[in-house]
Amino acid sequence: MSKKIKLSEEELVLALRNREKIAVEALYDMYSASLFGVISRIVIDEATSEDVLQETFVKIWHSFPSYSADKGRLFTWMVNIARNLSIDKLRSKDFKNHSKNQELENNVTFIDEQRNTVYKPELMGIKDLVQKLKPEQKSILDLVYFKGYTHVEAADELGIPLGTIKTRLRMAIIELRKNFN
Amino acid sequence: MEHVKTFIESGILELYVLGDVSLAEKQQVEAMVQKHPVVKAELEEMEKALESYAFANAIQPSNSQRTKILNSLVTNLADDSTFKSKKEEAIVVTMPAQQTNNFYKYAFAASLALLIGSAVGMYNLNNQLQQKKEELVAMNTQNQRFSKTVGYMDEQLGIYRDTSYKVLRLKGTKNLPTGNVLVVWNPAKKKVMLDLKTLDMPVNDKDHQYQLWALVAGKPVDLGVFDKLNNDMLDMKQMKSVALAQAFAVTREPRGGSINPTMSEMMLIGQF
Repeated sequence: MSKKIKLSEEELVLALRNREKIAVEALYDMYSASLFGVISRIVIDEATSEDVLQETFVKIWHSFPSYSADKGRLFTWMVNIARNLSIDKLRSKDFKNHSKNQELENNVTFIDEQRNTVYKPELMGIKDLVQKLKPEQKSILDLVYFKGYTHVEAADELGIPLGTIKTRLRMAIIELRKNFN
Repeated sequence: MEHVKTFIESGILELYVLGDVSLAEKQQVEAMVQKHPVVKAELEEMEKALESYAFANAIQPSNSQRTKILNSLVTNLADDSTFKSKKEEAIVVTMPAQQTNNFYKYAFAASLALLIGSAVGMYNLNNQLQQKKEELVAMNTQNQRFSKTVGYMDEQLGIYRDTSYKVLRLKGTKNLPTGNVLVVWNPAKKKVMLDLKTLDMPVNDKDHQYQLWALVAGKPVDLGVFDKLNNDMLDMKQMKSVALAQAFAVTREPRGGSINPTMSEMMLIGQF
């Protein structure tokens, strides 16, 4: 396995801003798996997910000048790019023809069963913590975060009022904060 | 602060992090984040939590993807850096270098042109100088000739003005009715001169010369030979000396002259 490069977020942002080659490698090594996790859960098809992953990195690289640390963390910005590109791909004509509707609820589990989810020593036990999320919180969070649903679409999909969706999303994130931060 | 608390609890920050907000909401959140550190801290906590969640749900793409994607980015990077370095070169490196290059190029060309120009100029100038020198020499020669002529004429004029000189015109005999010459004689100095300018006689052939005689006490005395040349003769020709003379005469004699005049060949005669 190739040696992975890791930088602090500040260093990475600076290196990206300076268009340094090492920044590209660090960016990939630090975030490709996380982004691919999001992309794969939306796009499902592995080859297409890989295409989207590449498109995501290309877009991150090219739009980087528009990123501002004042408006949020780098990953937030990147994951939104990955999610939007995934949704675009999903809605594109050729992809619609190619892929049949899959059952939403099972997608995450389906993917997690199919692929090797990354387990890092420093993240040991996280899986368990994530499991501590109440099912109704997790399903909404996963729909929005991993499936690219808007909260309005999620409300429609789950037949739950918009306010409830918002509350559950908020509670889910608060729960995550307790576990991770 | 109540307003901030309500804002945080409204759930809009969560939607913002999830990218599920309208443009107006997005701007509202960003304004609040800028304004209130509490909101900023709250937002960052959410971002970190979701980031960790994504991390926990990460799926490692296949190893071939790393090379493929990095290559595509590095290609982009190379394009960018080529473009960037080009720009930099254009601004920082290349332009001055080009300027210097051009400067030396033009300077060299200018020097060369100047050198050639100078050489041509020098050559022309030298030619002109030579020409002027020659002209000057010619003019000097002419000038010398003129001054010589003038001096000579002055001298001649002096002779004529000098009352001690006697001037006698010899006239043609029946042998040469149109003949003519002036003899200038200074009895005191015993000096006899022929004014060749006034000489009006046919050109003598190479076997003959004219001879001037003085008649002293009825006897001819040789005063020397002279030639009539084709071109104009300015000279006052000094002849042999004689102190006393009643008459002067010119005969045609064999070249070198004779001891006694050939009377049949007498051309001019004049007497006091």
